[in-house]
Amino acid sequence: MGGANIPLEEHRIVKKPYYLAQGSEVEIACAAYRSGLPLLLKGPTGCGKTRFMQYLAWKLDRPLITVSCHDDLSTSDLVGRYLIRAGEAVWMDGPLTLAVRAGAICYLDEVVEARKDTTVVIHPLADDRRELPIEKRGELLIAPPEFMLAVSYNPGYQSVLKDLKPSTRQRFVALSFNYPELEQEVDIVCQEGGLERDVALSLVKLAIMTRNLKDSGLPEGASTRLLIQAGKLIGDGVDIQTACRVAVVEPLSDDPEMLAAVEDMVGSLF
Amino acid sequence: MNFPALNKQFYHLVAPDIPNDWEVEELLEPYLDQSDEVCQEVFKCIPAIWPISTSLCCDFLRIIPETLKILPLSQLSSWVGEILDRYELDGLRAAQRFMRDVESGYMNRSNAGLVLLGEVEGRLLTFIRGVAGRDLLIAPGNAVFTDTETIFLPPELAVFSASADNILLYKLILAFQWAYIANGTFTLPDPIAQEPMVDSESSLWLNTFFASFPQPLFARDCYFFLETVRAARFLEQALPGLMRAWAKLPCFILPGAEDKNISPQAAVLSDLQSRFLNGSLLEAWQEEHLPVLRDYWRRLLGEGVNGKDSVEAVKAICAAQASHEAEGEEYEGITPLLFQGEIRLSAVEAVHRQRFLRQGEELVHSLALHLASLPKEQLEQLLRSEEEKENGATGLESDVTMIMDSEFAGTAAEPQAPLLITINNEEVQLSEEVAEQVRQFHDEFGHLPGRFLSSAVGRAGEGLAPDAHPGPEQGGELQAPICYDEWDHRRKGFRKNWCVVTIKELPDLRSGFIRQTLSKYHGVVNRLRHQFEMMRTSDRFARRQRDGDDIDLDALVESLADGRAGLPSSDRLFIKLLRDERDIAVVFLIDMSNSTAGWVGNAIKESLVLMTEALEVLGDRYAIYGFSGMRRTRCELFHIKEFDEPYGEPVRERIGAISPMEYTRMGPAIRHATSLLAKTDARVRLLITLTDGKPEDYDDYKGEYAIEDTRHALLEAKMAGIHPFCITIDHQAHDYMDHLYGPVNYIFVNDVRKLPLRMPEIYRVLTS
Repeated sequence: MGGANIPLEEHRIVKKPYYLAQGSEVEIACAAYRSGLPLLLKGPTGCGKTRFMQYLAWKLDRPLITVSCHDDLSTSDLVGRYLIRAGEAVWMDGPLTLAVRAGAICYLDEVVEARKDTTVVIHPLADDRRELPIEKRGELLIAPPEFMLAVSYNPGYQSVLKDLKPSTRQRFVALSFNYPELEQEVDIVCQEGGLERDVALSLVKLAIMTRNLKDSGLPEGASTRLLIQAGKLIGDGVDIQTACRVAVVEPLSDDPEMLAAVEDMVGSLF
Repeated sequence: MNFPALNKQFYHLVAPDIPNDWEVEELLEPYLDQSDEVCQEVFKCIPAIWPISTSLCCDFLRIIPETLKILPLSQLSSWVGEILDRYELDGLRAAQRFMRDVESGYMNRSNAGLVLLGEVEGRLLTFIRGVAGRDLLIAPGNAVFTDTETIFLPPELAVFSASADNILLYKLILAFQWAYIANGTFTLPDPIAQEPMVDSESSLWLNTFFASFPQPLFARDCYFFLETVRAARFLEQALPGLMRAWAKLPCFILPGAEDKNISPQAAVLSDLQSRFLNGSLLEAWQEEHLPVLRDYWRRLLGEGVNGKDSVEAVKAICAAQASHEAEGEEYEGITPLLFQGEIRLSAVEAVHRQRFLRQGEELVHSLALHLASLPKEQLEQLLRSEEEKENGATGLESDVTMIMDSEFAGTAAEPQAPLLITINNEEVQLSEEVAEQVRQFHDEFGHLPGRFLSSAVGRAGEGLAPDAHPGPEQGGELQAPICYDEWDHRRKGFRKNWCVVTIKELPDLRSGFIRQTLSKYHGVVNRLRHQFEMMRTSDRFARRQRDGDDIDLDALVESLADGRAGLPSSDRLFIKLLRDERDIAVVFLIDMSNSTAGWVGNAIKESLVLMTEALEVLGDRYAIYGFSGMRRTRCELFHIKEFDEPYGEPVRERIGAISPMEYTRMGPAIRHATSLLAKTDARVRLLITLTDGKPEDYDDYKGEYAIEDTRHALLEAKMAGIHPFCITIDHQAHDYMDHLYGPVNYIFVNDVRKLPLRMPEIYRVLTS
């Protein structure tokens, strides 16, 4: 068993992550966990999907194995493969197999980025069978009750080509995430960015303005994550205008007109 | 320079026109004294101006010797560019005026921080849309005002000497206009009326309010001033940075304030204005003997005021001023502050009426759809009662009431509660979507006219509801016209919004063309399909990789053997599955000029049929448009197939309906195709033009001008990451195609009859 020697403890989250619930998502996720149902998280980038998973893993006291999906991700990358070691073929568990064996939470981030044929491998795990066939070894792994599968994707910017297949979709309990309400987002930016409340409020207002531009050429507005990053810079002594420029304005776009307009918003707010 | 040389050069430049000798002599005479350099520079401008307007060009030549005393020679060409822009925007007079006024109009201005709206429009629009969170529009206007959907701005600003300050002023104007809209300054409902009645016919309540005063104009200006103060307060909270930047700006000069003959009312208002600007409004109002105003100000700084408070304050001011009315001049209005702009209730009303009609139409449509989906008995019952209503004498409109489901009334869930509507005592449960629409309409316009429901019931009864929105008529326009710039090589600049492109539907034509073509090329189609099938996404295994899905046994055996033999063994031991996906989007532009009549057109159509058959096998995304038109105001693109449209009978019929039309203005067609392709996310984006000759139009779009514009459009396409390619059957193609597309990006098909066979082949080579 080649894979078993990866220390799972590294994946355990010891310190309670900061997470402010937007609704009843924590209760729903816990209920899904108890019933052995997989989770589908959808929402724009930087709105707290990954943080939610960390929080959930901490709350359930399970290790969290995260796989960032990309379009070259193959089935072997998830399930495992044979490697040659000292002239011998040695089996190496992939992250998914590892999570199933250890009863951990496996989180496939941005799952639509993976090829459709790769995504199919999670099908038997994501329904009531809860099993993972490892063809190359002729093994059928049955997931323990502690195992949980979660996937996330961003319905906002991906093209129609990169949509989830209905057969994949219809296996999950889906939680929709969005940017938090104004007050909540201010709380989050205060807490995470370590800011005064009024500065945090202005930052959130700026983010809302950029989110209004969705139909005017900006694919996605400033995320909560960007605001927190700007907050950290401000906390470190960078002046507000500069911090907003480097942490909020510039990451959003390369279009000079758009940049000038967002910079105008910064100038108008602070 | 001597006269004959000048004369000869001039005639050469304006050819093929032949102006009168004596006129030319008069024009050129002053140039005999000028240096060679000056003459050459001035003459360089003639080809840019002459074809656009001969009289402008003559004027230009007359005025230049004087102008050059002020204008440095190096700025001549940019000055000419602006003259031509004026000409195209406002006509000959404006251009001539601008030309004569070189000193104050061009020279002084160019170093005075002038900001043109056209240059910053995109930035400002994005700014205000983000700030306001709604789709406001910006347009140049002769005055600053808003109709609540569009904000009209001065076409240029040169108030301050720094351009950054002028841009700030633009932003300030926008912010104030937005504040009026957001505060509901123009749409204040009657404070006394219970149910605000706003209908397509009725006017805004403010009109009635102002008219109730002996001096409506004064009441209006007072109200607007108070609302401006309120807007400023609102902006201090919403956009503190902007307001701080404004406070740092040098003070505005108030025009008209020095006028001694103004009426006492105007004096009061301009005093208030200047106090507002220099921030001493507070003291002014504290010593004010009108308690209403004192109170207004106190509350403005405290819990805030609303439009009703402004109305009350206006009443008080007008009452106080009533005593002065007998003496002094009649109040004739004052100049509003620049960022304040004008209050134009008629424009607001017009927009309001349009919105009412538009949204009403949408609402009737969805209601009709909803009603048509009801059980048959219920619908019939509704129709019966509707008929009775019409025949009966009682009332013309249906009785309509909106009812919240009583369980939810008064609870927090009220806004989401399901909605019931009773039509003539018949209860109808609305679907969530329709209910949301009804609710929005009700919120905005205050009530739901009964006739909407009557007509919805009527439409549902006719069974026409699903088609209530008429489809585009045959040959009609499919979408609003789009403007594109055109490149003028003579002036090395764009003619702004020069060409109007309309997307049109081809006339409906049923023909056996496709069937004939398919049977004619039966064998070829099968072969093409096979060929193109081979090009489809191919998965293949790459052996001897460092990393992969499986162990490459051959490599492993070799490596082990090497190891035993004491040779260095390879670490490339894996097999990897490689998948090369075709990610191609292609637009075909088909020349539909009248020169394609006859067998040329047929060959083009046949090639399109074969091409589409092959492409369907391949699965590449493709769109087909035909182009033709006459003059810049009527560049037409004919829709044959869009990207997302499936290939089916309608597309085939449209290919069959391709027929020769008018001229070949290529630039706008290429620019439109570029914009279409730029929206796709394909890795390879191709623009294939199929043509039989040079670009040419009825007007001056011919020769070098047409070639240069087309070339520039192609350059723009390349800059957008698109590969343009051209298939031509013009025998003279080599003369200009190299210049247009570059030597390898076009192909000349010698024999038109071979085009249908060659085209899929060309495509195959291009994309593999």
